[in-house]
Amino acid sequence: MERLVAVWLADLEVERVDGSSLREFSSFLDALGELCPFVDPLRRGLCLFPMRAPRRFYGTEEAVLERLYEIVERCGLPSPRVGVAQGVFSAEAAARRDRVVMLGEEDLFRYSLPIEELAPKDVAATLRRLGISSVGRFAELSERRVAERFSALVVELHRVARGEQSEAPGQRDASVLRALGRETRDTRGVDEQLGFFGHRGAREQRALAAAWRVRSRLGEAGVLVASLRAGRAPEDRDVLVPFDAPEPRRSPEAPWPGRLGSPTPVRTPRQPLPVSLTDSTATPVTVGVRGFLSGDPVRLDLGRGSWREVTWYAGPWPSVEEWWGVPRRRAHLQVVTDRAEAYLLRAEGERWWIAGVYD
Amino acid sequence: MSGCGYSYERMFAFSPPRPPVPTDLAAKIRPTLLARSRTLGLEGPWSGVIPGGRLRRGTTIAVHAESAQGGVSVALSLAAAATAEGLWAGVVGVRDPGVVAMVDLGLDLRRVLFVPSPAAAWAESAADLLEGVDVLVVQPPLNPSSTLARRLSSRVRERGVVLIVVTRQFVWPAPVEVGLRVEGSQWETSSRLVSRVLRLNVSTRERAGTSCHELVLPDPHGRVASR
Repeated sequence: MERLVAVWLADLEVERVDGSSLREFSSFLDALGELCPFVDPLRRGLCLFPMRAPRRFYGTEEAVLERLYEIVERCGLPSPRVGVAQGVFSAEAAARRDRVVMLGEEDLFRYSLPIEELAPKDVAATLRRLGISSVGRFAELSERRVAERFSALVVELHRVARGEQSEAPGQRDASVLRALGRETRDTRGVDEQLGFFGHRGAREQRALAAAWRVRSRLGEAGVLVASLRAGRAPEDRDVLVPFDAPEPRRSPEAPWPGRLGSPTPVRTPRQPLPVSLTDSTATPVTVGVRGFLSGDPVRLDLGRGSWREVTWYAGPWPSVEEWWGVPRRRAHLQVVTDRAEAYLLRAEGERWWIAGVYD
Repeated sequence: MSGCGYSYERMFAFSPPRPPVPTDLAAKIRPTLLARSRTLGLEGPWSGVIPGGRLRRGTTIAVHAESAQGGVSVALSLAAAATAEGLWAGVVGVRDPGVVAMVDLGLDLRRVLFVPSPAAAWAESAADLLEGVDVLVVQPPLNPSSTLARRLSSRVRERGVVLIVVTRQFVWPAPVEVGLRVEGSQWETSSRLVSRVLRLNVSTRERAGTSCHELVLPDPHGRVASR
């Protein structure tokens, strides 16, 4: 399970009347982008990012945390509580205690937590009556016994207790994602919200007339207009629709935990291009269940006999879906080749694809 | 001066006092006015690279770069300020435009028309769009004939559009006002990609020889920046 940094800004947990807490949280998330391109806002005032990639760059976990505190300070926010532990549930618990759980002590830490920290009140009360007071005691119950006696929710909590699942049900507040999405759109101003072709000046009519000519030449999908929607990876956020479509399809309701920060690829292939990535022993590089690479990638085969040497890479950043066991498991990797080309690669279904080209 | 204070008598009796008009006034004013309407704005960092610091209408700019070396970023960044000023842009032949990156570059997507895969009809599509936009970015999928390239350039002059062509394996086979060549690029990295420095070789029709520039594109915010 991934070692995560949880940052808890108690000050931003409560919504202020002027909405400034959400704005501050949003700009803090953007600022955190310099440590990790995928930052996952779990709830208002609480966000997570994986420790591994920044540690590889900064050398030690301490150095990463130092940078983190600098960023918090730069954002003008009061001192946060920071926790480092394995998995989302433990990381949050560690943050509440402002504690870095030592490597190798992750299980002990999780076992020592009171059962109330994991289970909702009613479930915790039942477990207490059974003499189960800590997460560790709960984890000792056999899986079958739990499945026989309790609901699906408790079975899931049990998996978290045993360290087989990263996030506990109920930990995440999806509405914060929606709120953050709204926040981002709102800062674009009223003008933006008028949408495409809100008011039609002479210039616009001229442009649209030209677009119609191209459309009649190339067909319906010939001329497109673009807009953004919420999403995690750049290839999820692009919206390109025919220019005369009634409304650009936007789905601001979609959650966008930990989107990739700037810079983003200038080209994002709609039809993913399969590539292969191999290590120094010519073995295909894969992303393991725990989100680690099987080896350092050294060669990128682009197909049709063309290949590049990989001179640098960062990641992988496994996607949220993977952390929570939703079928779609993805991980992103940034690579630079010997020709100074940069690609965003995506691992999905045991294969690598080009998700973006930094052209 | 308030017009209603004048009686007709006085109006005909005296000619209103006014300073003599300098004879060269028209000559002084016109070029400036024209210069504004005849040019399009550029993002700040480009002003040291593009002669005059603005894009002149009716001109063609050729951007040449190897694959994935920043050619598309350069072209779109050149067009960004114009769209932000309320002008329209067309982007022909750039497959799979990355929308997030384009927003970062400063393009106002409300005024950008994309023709991502015009295939063989790219020149016709470009010519169609020339009638309606102020700046047109074209990445020809095939090497055009020199006749075709010249015809497009002359259409561009007539329409007062700025044409930015991006080429890879070939060079644009017609004379251009400004030629930008990406000579090399270098990524700055930390625990992730941070920014890229592009070495640009700039040639203009007006002056012989070329000049070298370094620009950061994209910078950590995805925009263009000075080195």
